[in-house]
Amino acid sequence: MSESDEKLVNVKIDGREITAPASLSAIQALWHAGYPRIKSVGCLEGVCGSCRVLVRRAGNSEVRTQLGCQTLIEEGMQVMFLVFPRPTHHTYKLEEINSSWEVQTKFHQIFPEASRCRECRGCNSSCPKGIDVMRGVELAAKGRFREAGELFVECVMCDLCLTACPELIAPNHVGLFSRRVTAYFHTRPSNLIRRLEGLQRGKFKVDE
Amino acid sequence: MIGIPYAEALAHYQSTNSRDLKESDMATDELLRAFHPDYREDSLVTLRVGPNQGNRCHRQLAQLLQADARIDEADLAGATIVKTDVLVVGGGGAGCAAALMAEQSGARVIMATKLRLGDSNTVMAEGGIQASIEKGDTPQMHLDDTLKAGHDRGDRKLVAKMVMDAPDVIRWLIQQGMQFDLDEFGDLMTRRAGGTSADRVVYYRDYTGLEMMRALRESVRNSKIDVWDYSPVVELMSNESGHCAGAVISNLKDCSYVLIEAQSVILATGGIGRMHLNGFPTSNHFGATGDGLVLAYRLGAKLRDLDSFQYHPTGLAYPQHLAGTLITEGVRSAGAHLLNGKGERFVDELKTRDHVSAAILKECAEGRGVRVDENTAGVWLDTPGVERSNPGILAERMPKLVELGKKCGINPAQMPLLVYPTLHYQNGGVVIDEHGRSTVPGLYCVGEVSGGIHGRNRIMGNALLEIISFGRCAGQQAAEMSHGRGHKKVTIGHLSKLRRELAVAEMPMDVKGPMLFPECAKFEKDADYEGFRRKKR
Repeated sequence: MSESDEKLVNVKIDGREITAPASLSAIQALWHAGYPRIKSVGCLEGVCGSCRVLVRRAGNSEVRTQLGCQTLIEEGMQVMFLVFPRPTHHTYKLEEINSSWEVQTKFHQIFPEASRCRECRGCNSSCPKGIDVMRGVELAAKGRFREAGELFVECVMCDLCLTACPELIAPNHVGLFSRRVTAYFHTRPSNLIRRLEGLQRGKFKVDE
Repeated sequence: MIGIPYAEALAHYQSTNSRDLKESDMATDELLRAFHPDYREDSLVTLRVGPNQGNRCHRQLAQLLQADARIDEADLAGATIVKTDVLVVGGGGAGCAAALMAEQSGARVIMATKLRLGDSNTVMAEGGIQASIEKGDTPQMHLDDTLKAGHDRGDRKLVAKMVMDAPDVIRWLIQQGMQFDLDEFGDLMTRRAGGTSADRVVYYRDYTGLEMMRALRESVRNSKIDVWDYSPVVELMSNESGHCAGAVISNLKDCSYVLIEAQSVILATGGIGRMHLNGFPTSNHFGATGDGLVLAYRLGAKLRDLDSFQYHPTGLAYPQHLAGTLITEGVRSAGAHLLNGKGERFVDELKTRDHVSAAILKECAEGRGVRVDENTAGVWLDTPGVERSNPGILAERMPKLVELGKKCGINPAQMPLLVYPTLHYQNGGVVIDEHGRSTVPGLYCVGEVSGGIHGRNRIMGNALLEIISFGRCAGQQAAEMSHGRGHKKVTIGHLSKLRRELAVAEMPMDVKGPMLFPECAKFEKDADYEGFRRKKR
């Protein structure tokens, strides 16, 4: 099972013809063949969202978006690294939302495009994590932030849906907004609060 | 690698039902001395140059600490100069916490990051974050556990500050919009870290770091902090009285050097996993090349515990292309056993990480590991056992593990995973005080680049705590200290002293530091960055 008797496959990465063992990811194959690659490399575990790639498989005209570190090479595969898009224009601060009663109003001020989703599913088909992004946007637009946020547990903020969305909704930021307001307004653990009170009253000391 | 062949070991695993632990025949100290990689005599050297001259240090790290700089004065002719109050180097959890607090305290902040904002070990952290919040637990117990696990080599003052700050750190994170796993009544759930005396780790699934980084990244993005991505620091700068006064950035986008002059600099550059010490695989991020240690050391900052690194017990051993990938301690915390090739338990899985790792290395060295091929052996992590005693727990609490299983073609609920220690954390680092100040005025160090908190061994959940606790504190301090002080002259003059010392010590001048990128990425050969290459002097 050593590398030497592993199956070799031919792939094309960023226009370069490469022959490498089939167990390698697109990034590893590039390095294996001696090509440098620094940008668009991150955690190499599929959680940082840096290594956005376009992938086309042999005999298939469809182009998919994936994460390069999670894409194992296959015979005849073509891979292109994508640059990162400009950051979204949406900005907000959680502190500027005065109470949880205002979240829905604020959401539509911050993300006015979210209610204009044309249901093209571009976000869903671009997501390398298989998140039902469109449903998340729909839920958020209805004010169901907790439910919307739950859909984005696996989101790595690769911005592929942001790139795909023709309405400039920035769906991943909508998802993250939903998660953040849920924590900001509704996470109030009594065990933590009790301990904070105790600390404030000087109940806990440590020997320094 | 010697060991029991895979198929035979799998048969042993399947046919053994007893999971009783036989008494371990070795005490921790003896076991570590015999099997922990820190104690491999040939891997240590004595530093000959710099503030830690005479101290023991890992050979590979020593090579970089005593390396030549990447630049000299001539490279900086005509370089753009930018001024700010606080420069934060590093875009992980510690850097974000520091930058956010500095900005909130009124400072102008630039954050320079080698890759992109959030590209860090933080985003990969799984286990959780420690805070003593449960009834039977106290900050004192947290302190005692931390010092004991570090073999009493930690700095008590630093640990005391951190454990007292911990509950407020969790509160601050919630205010940044970070979610945690809660029970049905909305209380924080806790789990137990190996080598500790109470359930103290709060978490979000096995995505704690990802969830933290998502929230912090969004906070930073929505602030006035000026984020410079693809901007590795190649040298720090100092003023006429030796205060740290900024840094030289190499801008990878247009291949130019930029000088950032700052009132204070906060290094939050993380660890060294990608140096692959002793040839071990690593769980670390692509950018974890120990740059901060090199930069700080050259400017005269004292370092500590340079011979102490953490090898996490459960890195994936097989398949090869995923070797070193971390499997969270949360799995053992949930009750998973470690089993050798005979299907026997050989260690209390919730001992400290250094002990468990050494025990795994012992099993493999003595032929009781599971042998895959000439290069690969490991022991079983009995994930099916956890699933049996707690059906559904893997899918519900450890989605990242389940995903990893898919990539290996293994369903961890049915098949055990093969694990082997992986280089995970740098226990030591830059010496700091309770405010994150290094021994060089104006230079702060926070997170993994700093040393002293974890002694010679870190427990699960203390890293995520440390980065936020000290990050916040250093950010605030740096902002407050940056009023009214001006530099007369900002230079890289410390390099002439460095080169003199290197020459006197007859060190090879062909090694250049900081490393910036792992060897596999071939930065030094990349035609895109030709402008940074220096002609041989």
